[in-house]
Amino acid sequence: MKRDLTMNELTVNDLHLDYGTGATANPILKGVSMHLQKGEVVALLGPSGSGKTTLLRAVAGLESPKQGTIAIGDRTVYDGARNFELAAEHRNLGLVFQSYALWPHKTVFDNVAYGLKLRKMGAAEIKDKVADVLKNLGLGHLAERYPHQLSGGQQQRVAIARALVYNPPVILLDEPLSNLDAKLREEARAFLRELIVRLGLSALMVTHDQAEAMAISDRILLLNNGKIEQQGTPQSMYETPETLFTAEFMGSNNKLPTKVVARDGNHVQLDVNGARLTGTARGASQAGAEPTTIIRVEEVKISATAVDNAIDMPLLTCMYLGDRFECLFKSPDSSAAGLRAYSKYKLEPGRYWLQMPADKLWVF
Amino acid sequence: MQTLTLPGSGRRGPGINWLRGLVVVLAATAIFLPLFLIFYQSFLTAPFFMPAKQFGLDAYRFIFDDPDFSSAAKNALYLALGLTAIAVPLGGMLAFLMIRTDLPGKGFIAPALLVPIFVSPMVMGFGYVVAMGPVGFYSVWAKDLLGFIPWNIYSFTSIVIIAGLTHVPHVYLYASSALKSLGSDVEEAARVAGASPLQVMFGVSLPMITPALAYAGVLVMFLGFEVFGLVLVLGDPEGHMVLATYLYKLTNKLGIPSYHLMAAVAVCLVMVTFPLVMVQRYLLKSANKFVSIKGKGARSKVMPLGQWKWLAFALIFGWLMFTIIMPLSGIVLRSFVEYWGEGVRLVDVLTLQHFREILDQPSLVRGIVNTILIGVVGGALAVICYCAIALAMHRKPDMISRFLDYSVLVPRAVPGLLAGLSFLWVFLFVPNWLDGILQGMDNGVAVWLSENAIPVLRSLRSTIFALWLAYSVVWLAYGMRLISTALLQVGPELEEAARAVGASRGQVSRDVTLPLIKYGLLGAWLMVFLIFEREYSTGVYLLSPGTEVIGAMLVSLWASGSTDLVAALSFINISLVAIGLGVALRFGVKLHN
Repeated sequence: MKRDLTMNELTVNDLHLDYGTGATANPILKGVSMHLQKGEVVALLGPSGSGKTTLLRAVAGLESPKQGTIAIGDRTVYDGARNFELAAEHRNLGLVFQSYALWPHKTVFDNVAYGLKLRKMGAAEIKDKVADVLKNLGLGHLAERYPHQLSGGQQQRVAIARALVYNPPVILLDEPLSNLDAKLREEARAFLRELIVRLGLSALMVTHDQAEAMAISDRILLLNNGKIEQQGTPQSMYETPETLFTAEFMGSNNKLPTKVVARDGNHVQLDVNGARLTGTARGASQAGAEPTTIIRVEEVKISATAVDNAIDMPLLTCMYLGDRFECLFKSPDSSAAGLRAYSKYKLEPGRYWLQMPADKLWVF
Repeated sequence: MQTLTLPGSGRRGPGINWLRGLVVVLAATAIFLPLFLIFYQSFLTAPFFMPAKQFGLDAYRFIFDDPDFSSAAKNALYLALGLTAIAVPLGGMLAFLMIRTDLPGKGFIAPALLVPIFVSPMVMGFGYVVAMGPVGFYSVWAKDLLGFIPWNIYSFTSIVIIAGLTHVPHVYLYASSALKSLGSDVEEAARVAGASPLQVMFGVSLPMITPALAYAGVLVMFLGFEVFGLVLVLGDPEGHMVLATYLYKLTNKLGIPSYHLMAAVAVCLVMVTFPLVMVQRYLLKSANKFVSIKGKGARSKVMPLGQWKWLAFALIFGWLMFTIIMPLSGIVLRSFVEYWGEGVRLVDVLTLQHFREILDQPSLVRGIVNTILIGVVGGALAVICYCAIALAMHRKPDMISRFLDYSVLVPRAVPGLLAGLSFLWVFLFVPNWLDGILQGMDNGVAVWLSENAIPVLRSLRSTIFALWLAYSVVWLAYGMRLISTALLQVGPELEEAARAVGASRGQVSRDVTLPLIKYGLLGAWLMVFLIFEREYSTGVYLLSPGTEVIGAMLVSLWASGSTDLVAALSFINISLVAIGLGVALRFGVKLHN
C-alpha cells in the first residue's frame, strides 16, 4: 500500500468525552481536534487533569467519547453521530503504557509475539519477526527472560517492541519516560527519538514534561482543561506563545508586578516599582491596565552597570546548578517575589542591573 | 512497512456476547428459581404437588398460631443477640492481642483460631455432647474430681454461650485484617502519651476499627439466625428450638409433608436474614472506605504486655480449650471407644469397631466418597462457575453487572437448610411443570422431549449433581468474593494492553486474566473444598440413596440415635477438614480476606 505523504494517519475531530453520565457527568474533553501525519511525532502536553491521557485512550478505543469523530488513516473508528465505535482490538494501533503493562506470566518473547499470534501468523515467521524487533531495540539477548527479571529501561523497550511488532500505522505512547529514574530518562529520551527517526514511525505521545515533549516531538499540542490551548512546533511553542498559559507552561519564567503606562501597537510601556520598561504585548486578548508580565529566566541579562530597559535590584543569593548559577534578586523591602536570572559565574553581593529585552518581555 | 491486520477485522459492530448472556441467564435461574418456589409455595394452602391447592394465607395463619413457632422465633432472636454480644468484644480483643502485642504462643494460636470456622457446627455440637454432656468424658472426670458436674450444656444459656464462643473467630478475622491495615503510629502516639496496653486497646485501637467490628457484628448476628446443627444437637434434650430447627421438625410434626408450612417459615427466616445481608453489604463498603484512611504502614515493634502477658495467654488458652480441644478430643475419644459412662476405664473399651461398621454399610462408604468428590471435583466445578460469573461482570460496568452483583448476594440470605429444601422442590416441580407444558403441545419434538428429557431431569434429584448445584448456589456469595479478590489484583492496563495489540474480550480473559489469577483460583478451590466438606444443612432434604454426604448423614444418623456411627463419621469429617487446612497452611493460601 502506498500512502500519500501528506495524508493524515490519525484525525480527531471535535471530540467530547465525559466521565460518568447524567447529573454526575464530568466533562474531560470539550471539543478537541487534531491530526497526525505520516512520520510525524506529536506530543500531547498538559498539566494533570487536562485530558491528555484520556484523549490518547479514546484514540486507542479504551474510553468511549460522547461525540465527535476519530479516524485512523481513511478508516473511521469512532463516529458519535452514527453511534459507531470500533472495539480497541480492531483498531490496529500500538500502545505503550505508562506502567509498561508487560504480562508477568509471559516471557519477553511471548509478550512481543502475542500480537502476531492473534494475527494467525506462522510460528517460524513469528520467531523471525520478534527476533527482528527485539534486535532493533537492543533486546536480542533477553527474549527468554520474564519481565520481573528486567531493569526499568529494558521493560520499557519490551513494551515498545510489543507495540511495534505488527507495524501499526500509529504508535501511542502514554508518558513513556515517567517511570524511569532521572538519569535513565535522558538516555531513553535520546533512544526513543533515534528509534522514531530510524523506523520512520508516526507517534502520538502523552507527557506532562515540556522538556521531554520538545525533545522528542515534531509538533506539540498543549491541552488545558479539556481543550487545545495552542499547537505548533516545539520552537514556536517555546518562543512565540500565544497565551499566558502556554508561556508559563513551556518554560521557567519570572513574573513581574507591572502597571501599564502607555500602549503603542504591540509596544507597551510598563511601570515596575517606579522603573520604566518596554515590553511586547502577546496573544489575542489585549491586556488591561494590570496585565501579567513575564520573561523567561534565561532572557534576563545581568549587568554591573546601568543599561537600557533594566531594573536594578540587590542580589539575595546564588544557587550552583553545575553548568551555571541561578541567582535570586530581591529588594529587602519588597514583599513581591524576586527575579531569577542565570549567570556563568558566581556573583559578588551587591546591586545589579537586570536587563530585559523588549521583545522578550511578554505582556499578556 | 505493511501493517499486519487481524484476520477478519472488517466492519464489526458491538455484537451480542452469547457466552455472557448464557452465564447470566443460568446464574439468575439458579439463584431466583428456588427462591421463587419458596415464596410461591408459602402462599398455597397445600403442598404444590397436591391437586387441591389454592392461593391463601393459611400457612402463615397456622404458624403464627403455633406457640412453638413464637417460642422458636424468640429463641432465634435471643441466640442471635447473645451470640453477637459475646463474639464481637471477644473477637476484637483477641485480634488486638494477636496482632499488636507480644502474646506468647501466637504461632500455634493463629491456625487453631480457624478450626471453629471450618469444622461443621453439627460436629461441634456432637463434640460438646460427648465431651461435656451428662455422661461426657469431661463431665465424668469432673464428677470424679468434684463430686458433681459444674455445667449443664443443654440449657439455652449454655447453647448461647457455646454459639457465641465458636463464632469469635469470625469477628477475629475481620478485626485483625482491619488492625493490620491500621497504621500502628496512632497506637504509638497513645503509648507515648502514657497509655497502658489495655488503655490503648479500648481507647484507640478498637474504636478505630469500629466499622470492621460493626460489619463483623452484623455478620455473626446473621450467622446466629442461621444456627441449625448446634441447636439441633444441644437443644433437643430440653426441647429448645430456633426457627431453623422448627422448620426441620415441622416435617415430623404433622406426619405428612407440610411444604406450605415449611415455606412460610422459610419466608419468615429470609425476611430476617435478607435485610441483614443488605446491611452487611452497606457496611462493607463504608468499612473499606474507612480502612483506606490509614496511617503510615511502617512495621512497628509489638507492644509488650508485661505482667499481663500470661493472664492474656491463660484466657485465650481457656477459650481454645473450651471451643476446640474439649469438643474435638471428645469426638476422637468417642469414635475409638465401644461405650462410655460412669465407672468405665478408657483403656478397657478402646476399639476400631465403629470404623469397621462404617465400612460394612455401603451407604456410609458412599457418603464418604461423595463427600470427598463433592469437595474436590464439585469444588473445582464450582470455582469454574464462580469464575465464569465473575468474568461476566469483570470490567463491564453496565446494568447486567450491577444486576449480577446484587443477585449473587441473594443466596447468602437463604440458610443452607432452606436452600436444600428449595432445590428439592425445583427438582420435583420443574420436570412436572415442563412435562405438563410439553404434553399440552402435542407435536413430535414435545412428545420425544417428554419421554426422554423429562425422566432425565427427574432422575437428577437423586444424583449428586442436585447436591452440587445446591452447594454451589448456597456458597455463591462466598465463592464470588474469593474470585473477585483475585481479579482485583490484575491491573486494568494488563488487559488493556492485550486489547490494544488486538485481542478480543474472550482472548483477553483466556490469555491474560485467567493465567494471572491462576494461583488465586487454586486457593479458591481449596477454600471451597473446605466449606463443602463442612456443609451439612444443605444436604438434609436432598438426602437420598446416591446423594449421601457426611454432613447430611450426621443429621439423619443423629436423629436415629446411632451415636457410635456419628462419632466415627465426625472423626472422618474432621480429618478431611484437617487435611484441607494442612494443605492450605503449607502452601500459604490466604484463609480469609
